[in-house]
Amino acid sequence: MTTTTHTETTMSRHAAARMAKADDGIPPLDRVPVVAGGRDIQWVTDTVCAIPEMPATPRAWYVAFAVSSSLTVVFFAMIAYLIATGVGVWGNNSPVFWAWDIVNFVFWVGIGHAGTLISAILYLFRQQWRTSVNRFAEAMTIFAVCCAGIFPAVHVGRVWFIYWLAPVPNNLAMWPNFRSPLLWDVFAVSTYATVSLLFWYMGMVPDLATLRDRAKSRWAQFWYGLGALGWTGSARQWHRYEKAYMLLAALATPLVLSVHTIVSFDFAVSQLPGWHTTIFPPYFVAGAIFSGFAMVVTLMVPARAFFGLKDLVTIGHLETMNKIILATGCMVGYAYAMEFFIAWYGGNPYEGFVFMNRALGPYAWAYWTMVACNVLVPQVFWFKRARTTPWMMVVACVLVNVGMWFERFVITVTSLSRDFLPSSWHYYAPTAVDVLMFLGSFGLFFTLFLLFCRWLPMVAMAEVKAAMPHHGSAPAIHDDEAEPALAGAAG
Amino acid sequence: MTTTASPRETPATPRLVALLAEFDSVDELLSAARRVRDAGYERWDAHAPFPVHGLDDAMAIRPTRLPWLVFVAGVAGCVAALVFQWWTNAIAYPFLISGKPLFSLPANIPVSFEVTILLSAFAAFFGMFALNGLPRWSNPLLRVRRFRQATQSKFFIAIDAADARFSPEATRDWLASLGPAHIDEVRDDGLDAALPKPLVWGALIVAALALVPPVMIAKARVTTGGQPRYHPFFDMDAQPNLRAQQASHLFADGRAARMPVAGTIARGELFDDTALYLGQRRLSAAERQEQAVAEAAADPNQPPADVPPRDGYAWVETLPVPVSERLMLRGQQRFNIYCAPCHGLTGNGEGVVSVRALELQQGTWVPPTSLHAEHVRQQPVGQWFNTITHGVRKMPGYGEQLSAEDRWAVILYMQALQRSQDARPADVPPDVLPQLQNSP
Amino acid sequence: MNDHTTNLLDDSAALNLGELAPRVMRLSAIVCAIALGLALALGLGAGDGMRAFQFAYLQNYCFVLSIALGALFFVVLQHLTRAGWSVVLRRLAEIMAATTAPLLILFLPILLPLLLGSWGLYVWNNPELALHDELIRHKLPYLNAAFFGVRCVLYFGIWGLSARWFLNRSVEQDVARNDRLTMRMQAASAPVMLLFALSVTFASFDWLMSLDPHWFSTIFGVYFFAGCTVGFLASLILAVAALQASGRLTYSITVEHYHDLGKLLFGFVFFWGYIAFSQYLLIWYANIPEETVWYLARQSAGWQFISLALVFGHLLIPFVGLMSRSVRRNKTWLVGWSVFLLAMHWLDLYWLVMPAYSGNQPILGLLDVCCLVGLGSALVGLSAWIASTRLLIPVGDPRLSDSLAFHNV
Repeated sequence: MTTTTHTETTMSRHAAARMAKADDGIPPLDRVPVVAGGRDIQWVTDTVCAIPEMPATPRAWYVAFAVSSSLTVVFFAMIAYLIATGVGVWGNNSPVFWAWDIVNFVFWVGIGHAGTLISAILYLFRQQWRTSVNRFAEAMTIFAVCCAGIFPAVHVGRVWFIYWLAPVPNNLAMWPNFRSPLLWDVFAVSTYATVSLLFWYMGMVPDLATLRDRAKSRWAQFWYGLGALGWTGSARQWHRYEKAYMLLAALATPLVLSVHTIVSFDFAVSQLPGWHTTIFPPYFVAGAIFSGFAMVVTLMVPARAFFGLKDLVTIGHLETMNKIILATGCMVGYAYAMEFFIAWYGGNPYEGFVFMNRALGPYAWAYWTMVACNVLVPQVFWFKRARTTPWMMVVACVLVNVGMWFERFVITVTSLSRDFLPSSWHYYAPTAVDVLMFLGSFGLFFTLFLLFCRWLPMVAMAEVKAAMPHHGSAPAIHDDEAEPALAGAAG
Repeated sequence: MTTTASPRETPATPRLVALLAEFDSVDELLSAARRVRDAGYERWDAHAPFPVHGLDDAMAIRPTRLPWLVFVAGVAGCVAALVFQWWTNAIAYPFLISGKPLFSLPANIPVSFEVTILLSAFAAFFGMFALNGLPRWSNPLLRVRRFRQATQSKFFIAIDAADARFSPEATRDWLASLGPAHIDEVRDDGLDAALPKPLVWGALIVAALALVPPVMIAKARVTTGGQPRYHPFFDMDAQPNLRAQQASHLFADGRAARMPVAGTIARGELFDDTALYLGQRRLSAAERQEQAVAEAAADPNQPPADVPPRDGYAWVETLPVPVSERLMLRGQQRFNIYCAPCHGLTGNGEGVVSVRALELQQGTWVPPTSLHAEHVRQQPVGQWFNTITHGVRKMPGYGEQLSAEDRWAVILYMQALQRSQDARPADVPPDVLPQLQNSP
Repeated sequence: MNDHTTNLLDDSAALNLGELAPRVMRLSAIVCAIALGLALALGLGAGDGMRAFQFAYLQNYCFVLSIALGALFFVVLQHLTRAGWSVVLRRLAEIMAATTAPLLILFLPILLPLLLGSWGLYVWNNPELALHDELIRHKLPYLNAAFFGVRCVLYFGIWGLSARWFLNRSVEQDVARNDRLTMRMQAASAPVMLLFALSVTFASFDWLMSLDPHWFSTIFGVYFFAGCTVGFLASLILAVAALQASGRLTYSITVEHYHDLGKLLFGFVFFWGYIAFSQYLLIWYANIPEETVWYLARQSAGWQFISLALVFGHLLIPFVGLMSRSVRRNKTWLVGWSVFLLAMHWLDLYWLVMPAYSGNQPILGLLDVCCLVGLGSALVGLSAWIASTRLLIPVGDPRLSDSLAFHNV
């Protein structure tokens, strides 16, 4: 949205003159350009609009859609079976009362966090490269939160009483317990879903207007026009729009922190060793961003190739995201280390046992999968080659998401399976329903995603255009004449 | 809905609403905007496919009030959430959970925070559209074919015909001097101003259908019915578990209920403190020997002066609980409830029940013992405790009504009563002694 | 010629401390010597085996060091994110960060007694106690004087060397104008950030958390780090304002930079509150005695007022106060908030350290003031000393023009 192009994208002339160009054509000190290949704004419009305007849907899309929608059907069939029969169809049993349901919930909510991070936090940090991926990532947020919300909703057992969670007057004259972290979760996740949706839609309004104005058919004109709400790109409207965007970004930033913080409270306010530790809130947030970025990269690499967006979503953008994955991966590693250190330092034998049990007990395979995928795998991103080679980053990112799923599994299941009462220790194993529901949630996610890719603008055109260099803004030129004077000052 | 239908046959001379100048670049737009601003136009606007940096200054757009709206909504959300949580959890439906206060601020912060954010976000989102006058279903600008580029790659300035300085010809000529790529007239033919009929009908039908669930719920809330609540899944009602007193083939004795393992003691029912719960203490070896010697020496025809509770035990002689004013008051209260009706408020055996029974000359009535009788005074407190617990002669046991602590409290109060009926001048505080001595 | 470069040219006569440096250094040395001497005298006079002095000294030392550590974080972060806007501010942060190495000498009054077997400050160093106290015995492999000393050297090694390295590369660039130096600093920033995170965490465990050797919290390092950054940003704003008051950097550092510093300050105030609340809520909710004991000490005997002062003064009031864009763009307001937040950061450290000494009630005394003045002037003097031979702006940085031209939207 912002147009500090002269400070962000233009390289100072004297530096450019002195430096040899790197392999990718971008001088090493220059910022990643928002659009590669010297394209103009009409090219951006044409390229992005070409996808929803495609006269015929590609066959590959149909194939993917058939697979994902079949999985979605499986998902809802499993939910129906679960509701009709009871949560006993899952593998959850004493003492592991929380298992894949919660693991999947936390996994999907975490995936969603990258979208808000890209659209809100990176906006506040003036990271203009984010404009090429933010729409895509925000869509991912919303679809991931949809998948996430289903798991806790059905795990309450009698879903037809789920309205008891909402603070509405009911015939029992009772109110929800606002002191419970599970209720905080209801508020946090629903607020998050709502605000993400508003943010996503608001960002899309100018682009829907573009699609409306380019529409060839009455139907397209009608539906895109309905979504565009009569947007005409008026400067007076842009003024309020930008302010609203900034405010929503400023609100979404603490919101996204709070959501995974509150998810971590579900565990950490308890007294269970392995769950109750004070670093959980920032650790969960870092982990969420970590997995979310990994998912964005995993999806973006094939999407940019398939839809011809390589000049919009450049290797430079992917590289930056991989750097963030590396940074958040290190934060997660830091949290693992702190947990382990304090488990010893605190001297609490139960706490110590839980951590030894994780590393050496019956779930050691899950623990070491987690460590390998979350701490070791992202270390490949220290190498530029790994950061800039699409297949390598996809492999690493898929492994990161495997690791993040296992992280939630390790936290939830290993801590519960061996609690204070050794007589009830139990090795948890999932049932087929558990597995099918998890796979089914991927089906729902990809179904929504495919619909989004096909019918909506996948890249925030207006934001990309605003971030591109325009002749109008005076570029910051480090004037050569100034140099002797400065050199004098330095000497 | 805004539609950009191809221009149709229009009624005669549609009204001119604005003049539209098209520009190719940001630079041209900015310089033209500055000139329009300086020329004193007030009702005009610029259109661009993205927010153009510097255009706010070039058009002298005043900062929007939106931040204030958002701030107010946020504060309202925070206060409302806190008040609501306080009212529901501490007033309307108070219940204790995990030892937390009913209104526990730390635990109320997460929800307050979320509601603050939610309402602020609503204010930012809906406030922006409301201040922008959106959604707008029809706009004559969109009837200009070239204007479709305004959301793609071209820049426009539109001067409203309602502006005081506007004149169709002069303004047009002046606009041409700004160097636009093109100038268009925006005319309002009034054709698309109304919503399409099918859309209106569709919306009405959806709205009417949306009313059905709330109406059904409202009806359910004000009517009663004899049918039980509808249960979608019956296995929640009829669960395959066993209840007490049912038969079961699972166990050899055919009963579903299981007896506890022999020697099981329920929590809080161990009662292993014999002094506290029985008023007895175990004799030491020396004492036992002494007792044996005394028994051997005693005259077998005389009944023993002191009856021991059981072999190897003796009645305790001091209270096994700490004495306090609190205990004394408790004892007084229990005594006046459970003992005084027969034994009298002073313990002299002349309680109202006894007095009445004697008046009625009930033959079977055994008058209660005065607690000041010498043989009662001589008894160890453990024996009193035993009497209170199990009763004696006509007196029933009070072990069920009075807890062990309460029985000891009653005994403490009995001791006080005995003292009060056997007081000496030395017991009276010196400052009230003259008063007593002077009284007749 | 470009407008923004003109700004720098206007400043070119005032790009170093010049004659101010010796004056500041002299004054700081005198104040530092008097204040620390007085503190030592008061400590000897207190007759508690220097415990009062050691606690006051530790608290104020941590306060001063936290500012330097915040500076190091800022420098590394700017390289890590390849930031352009902050270049004009970076040298000031580099100078503050470089004080970590000489500050090691001022840590000796804490380290040496410990190595000599004193346990006035850290009770775990009492060999008697370790015999009876099972928890302390359990922690002895970590909490012992020798290993504590080794770790201190390691921490100061990391901070001192990396701060010096960044400062020297940056100064080298003033003359060399070599962009490769920027690339080297960027490359080094990521591993240095990792080392920084680990060293600050364990330093906070060692110096602050182990004051109560039974208590533990995994988030403690993050909490300390959040405070460091708030303290540093407030100090940087004050340093810039002071330099501008003396006629330096008045053209190169503009309201736009203040605005961004204000935003960062606002953000880190919120971050501190977030971390503090997370720690408090989790311990409050689970209500496990081995954890709540730490907060219990801070919620009774007068400490509850300090706790409340932090809730309001370190979070709620500055959060509302810094929310407005116009406040963040107003130098006077921003300086006012910086002074306030610096005081709150000091109070935060007081709240961390002092309950271990005077569990009965908080007593602010002359000793605290003397230690603060003495160590604070040491930081100012050391900064002036490091700055005396260097420019106040990295004039050779390839992104300098970005920073000079920086404009918030």
